[in-house]
Amino acid sequence: MGLTGKTGRRAVVVDGLRTPFVKAFTDFTKLDTIALGVAAARGLLAKANLGRRDVESIVWGGVILPGTAPNVGREIALDLELDPACEAMTVTRACASGLQAVTLAAAAIERGEADIVIAGGSDSTSNAEIKLPQKVVHALAPVALGKADPKAILGAMGKLAPFTDILPTRPKIAERTTGEVMGEAAEKMARRNEISRASQDAFAARSHHRAAAAMASGRFDEEVTPVETSEGKWVHADGLVRADTSEEKLAKLRPVFAKDGTVTAGNASPLTDGAAAVLLMSEEKARALGYRPRAAFSSWAYVGVDPADQLLMGPALAIPKVLDRAGRSLAEIDLVDLHEAFAAQVLCVLKMLGSAAFARERLGKAAAVGEVDPARLNVHGGSIALGHPFGATGARMVTTMANELIRLDKQTALLGICAAGGLGAAALLERID
Amino acid sequence: MSDVLLQIGKNAQARKVVHALGLPIPLPVPLRRARGPWRERPLADLCMVVGAPPGAELLPEIAETLASAGANAYGTGSDAIAAAFAAPGEAYGRPARALAALGDNERVAGVVFDATGLRDVAGLRALYETFHPLVPRLAKSGRVLVIGRPSEKGAAASAAQAALEGFVRSVAKEIGRGGATANLVRVEKGAEARLGPVLRFLLSSRSAFVTAQPFVVDARTKALGDKPPFVRPLEKKVAVVTGAARGIGAATARRLAEEGAHVVCLDRPGDDGPTSQLARSIHGTALLVDLGADDAPARIADVVRALGGLDVVVHNAGITRDKTIGRMSEKQWDEVLAVNLGAVVRTHEALEPLLREGGRVVCLSSIAGIAGNVGQSAYAASKAGILGLVAGLAPVLAERGITVNAVAPGFIETRLTAAIPVAVREAGRRLAALGQGGLPEDVAEVITFLASPGAAGITGRTVRVCGGALIGA
Repeated sequence: MGLTGKTGRRAVVVDGLRTPFVKAFTDFTKLDTIALGVAAARGLLAKANLGRRDVESIVWGGVILPGTAPNVGREIALDLELDPACEAMTVTRACASGLQAVTLAAAAIERGEADIVIAGGSDSTSNAEIKLPQKVVHALAPVALGKADPKAILGAMGKLAPFTDILPTRPKIAERTTGEVMGEAAEKMARRNEISRASQDAFAARSHHRAAAAMASGRFDEEVTPVETSEGKWVHADGLVRADTSEEKLAKLRPVFAKDGTVTAGNASPLTDGAAAVLLMSEEKARALGYRPRAAFSSWAYVGVDPADQLLMGPALAIPKVLDRAGRSLAEIDLVDLHEAFAAQVLCVLKMLGSAAFARERLGKAAAVGEVDPARLNVHGGSIALGHPFGATGARMVTTMANELIRLDKQTALLGICAAGGLGAAALLERID
Repeated sequence: MSDVLLQIGKNAQARKVVHALGLPIPLPVPLRRARGPWRERPLADLCMVVGAPPGAELLPEIAETLASAGANAYGTGSDAIAAAFAAPGEAYGRPARALAALGDNERVAGVVFDATGLRDVAGLRALYETFHPLVPRLAKSGRVLVIGRPSEKGAAASAAQAALEGFVRSVAKEIGRGGATANLVRVEKGAEARLGPVLRFLLSSRSAFVTAQPFVVDARTKALGDKPPFVRPLEKKVAVVTGAARGIGAATARRLAEEGAHVVCLDRPGDDGPTSQLARSIHGTALLVDLGADDAPARIADVVRALGGLDVVVHNAGITRDKTIGRMSEKQWDEVLAVNLGAVVRTHEALEPLLREGGRVVCLSSIAGIAGNVGQSAYAASKAGILGLVAGLAPVLAERGITVNAVAPGFIETRLTAAIPVAVREAGRRLAALGQGGLPEDVAEVITFLASPGAAGITGRTVRVCGGALIGA
């Protein structure tokens, strides 16, 4: 694919911004996913000094979509009072939704559909809707949607009896086909790929230490915008990062998903509220308007694996695809950013990438994809420390890596994300001068 | 026709009562069977123990198959096992562990024993050492699979390899009451690459009613390159099944269609109803032809030509006209031979030129064809003739990559066997190692496997689907 699309146009990352990421059911509890998205997009418009009529399209990603307004992107455009002509869509690809939104926007720009697009994603776990069982929904439909006469009500009661299984179900992150909770999948993968508890805890501690260092140094200041809560409190910084954690402290936590397991609350990503937005433009437009293009995608790939096997291994298949499409080898890549759903999952993916046997059997390649030097992996921490608002993570990673390429004067950054349903995503960002 | 003892056997309370009272009633264990199309990992999370005395030659193929099929492998000590599993274990996240790591009370879903290294009588002791502790731990519907070589130079090696068959047949009878099976696979030198799919099939619950027999995997048929697919093996293939209206034929047509084949369902014009209904439900083609008619082969060939070619033929149509030879009429004899053998030969001759490279021919024989039966001289003659037919055709068609095999069902619960007098029927069921009759689906599974690209190593052979019948084995 190279750095330009078929039309000869190239989509570039101009800027990016996110809200602070905070623990679910804390400061952002009263801000739903739309409000969080508005906060990130508003901040981005201001930072980039963009007019309300300039944005042609919003592509948004989300996982827990509000039932009454699932097209979150359009609601953000309307709430921001952008030009009504600014069209919008909302995509969902589980935890890869944010990256999906960004690559869709890049594709649209490269096809000539638009010149200026905001892409990103948000999620508010605090506002997950509690679902009524379908039995209740079907039974109550005539009452709720039709005429609620006594006969209809009696009929509904009849359908509900016996009154078992009519309690609302607790939302949980379980696979629809297998019923497996994601943590169980990570636990299974750790066991099958022989990833120790100690290595997981060490990885998690490093994620926290690196994120804390980035915060302390002010590295995130250019990509995090403060958000005012409905109580009038201003939240300036990420709320989940623990500078004072250590392998020893993490080692004391109890495994959550299996009695003799290894996955704990400490080496998994927490439930998080937040949003992230990326500004993409055609290179021509960006230069004409005087913006400095930071990076462009040389390739991206989305893959699927059987959720019943190793649910979170997707990046191990998507990354080689992305490298092949861009004609690069892993050794040439300057920075690698992997979404940290679980330390176990990242370590499994790294093990697979480094395995010659895996390459031969699963990728049909003669040699391993390659080892990833810890020094260039998740240089400012990842989802374990920062948190993981599902739809926002991909856009956060794009922004951080685009900025990092410039800051370190590097050329390439590889992103990898695992997602529910056995999905995997990867993308290769290249700096533009 | 329903098996009362099997029904009682399904009820845990009833089983307890029978055992507590010490009643001399054999309660067969319901067999574990898979439904629907083949799965990518038929052995997902099953605990499989691998044994391999020194000199074992097929560990790489065994390791590759177990890991890719999703099994958790446990090795019995030897370093060779750990070495063979290192790469595939890493690739599929299924590292082999030491048997000692398995809890003492945990059941074993299967034992795979690579006996290719056994070259003398003393070496046979490894059979005892491996199976003596493991067989009592075998799960219900478990699997024992011994891998050997068909012919070895030298008397001692030849004796050692031959001994495996007696061992497997006996173990099959011992473990059959638990629904478990034991089989022997003999792999010719040079046919190692063709072992994987056979292992997959025999270790999976698709081979529920196949037990107590040797298989031979050879490299006689031309190799066709591509790795055989794990799922949807018959996609874009055309199959003809004769006698498809009911029973084994109908079950086979359904299974072939589930694996992706377009199935021509053939039966007599009198069976229009069920044949057409089946063809509709599996999106196949109904073909109503009397196989005895002179123009039958030409008509079938016409339909196949219109479909663009042919990949799989299942010669399943058959009749019985049971009478002792002294009482049998000339007409009865002629009918049986004409339909069961004559029509197969004639149909095959018409279809052979239409078979594509890599084609599969499966002919239904019978245990009666192997062992003979009172009142079935004509039937057994026709079914034994089938064995000769496949043995004769196999080498001829090998250069086109086509395999030809026979499937010999034992006691299968069909309309035919429901008509047998009750005492004989009970004997037929209980005298099998598995203590019960098979289902048409059990035969269909074997036919589907033989029809798949992965069965390239098996040709000119007869596979019994008899649950380890006392007779005919």
